[in-house]
Amino acid sequence: MQGICERLDRTCVLLDVQATEKEMIIRAMVEALAHIGYVSDVPQQVQDVIAREKLGSTCIGSGCAVPHAHSVGLRETSLAAVRLAEPLACETPDGQPVDLFFLMVGPPHHAATHLKLLSKLARLLHDEHLRTDLRSASDAEQFIQAICRREN
Amino acid sequence: MKLLVFILNNEEYLEEVLEAYVEAGITGATIVDSEGMGRFLAYEVPLFAGFKEFMKGNRPYNKTILSVVRDEATIQRARNLIDPVIGGLDNAGTGIMFTIPVDWASGLVPEEEEV
Repeated sequence: MQGICERLDRTCVLLDVQATEKEMIIRAMVEALAHIGYVSDVPQQVQDVIAREKLGSTCIGSGCAVPHAHSVGLRETSLAAVRLAEPLACETPDGQPVDLFFLMVGPPHHAATHLKLLSKLARLLHDEHLRTDLRSASDAEQFIQAICRREN
Repeated sequence: MKLLVFILNNEEYLEEVLEAYVEAGITGATIVDSEGMGRFLAYEVPLFAGFKEFMKGNRPYNKTILSVVRDEATIQRARNLIDPVIGGLDNAGTGIMFTIPVDWASGLVPEEEEV
C-alpha cells in the first residue's frame, strides 16, 4: 500500500496560507487536488468533507487537523496539506488553535485503506519533532520530506 | 493447563454459552464486559466518526470469558457445544476463541470438585 508520502503531491502542499475559516482551507486543498486531476467535482468534494466535519471534529490536538471524506467518483485515496500563516481556532481536545491541516479523500470502497492512512497520519502527527519540522519547512519539498523520513 | 479466552460478540448468547461451558466440564470462569476496537474508534474518537458505516458489522459491546482449563479435551468439547449456539466460530462476527499455555495457577476449583 502506498503511504502518505507517496500520496502527497508537492503541488498539493500549500504553505503559509491566510485563511479565517475551515471551509476556505478545505476548499483550497480540494482545488489543489483538482489541479492534478484527483478530484473532478470541487463543490461536491468540499460538501462531502464539510458533511463529515459535522459528525465530529477532525482537529486532533497539538495544532493539527485531518479533515477527510469518502466520495463517489474518486479513483484513489489522496492527500493535500495546508500550513496556515496564523493558527485558526478549532474544536480540539487540547484547546490549541490549528495551523496544520491535512485533507484525505478517497473512494468509499477504499474504506480500509483510508482508515489505515488516517490512523498512520494521526500517529505521525502526535510526534512533536515532526510537527516542528512541518512548521519550519521552507518549501513543499521539505514539508513532504519531513513526513517521508518519519514514515519510512 | 490452558487459559481459554472467548470473546463472545453477541451477548444474548451468554447464558447458553455458559451452559455449554458447564456441560463441557468448565465449572469456573470470569466474565468481563468488553468493547471492540472498531466500535470504540468509530463512536469515541471523533477523528474516526466517519467510519461508523464501515464498522457496522461490529456489535458495540461484547463479553470476554476467561477460564483456566486443566484438560485440553475439555476445550474441544466446549468448542463443539458453543459452535452451534453462536452460529459457528468460523463465521466472522460471532466471536474469537483462543488458548494460552498456563504454567502455574492458584485458586482454581479443586480437580476433584470439577464436574
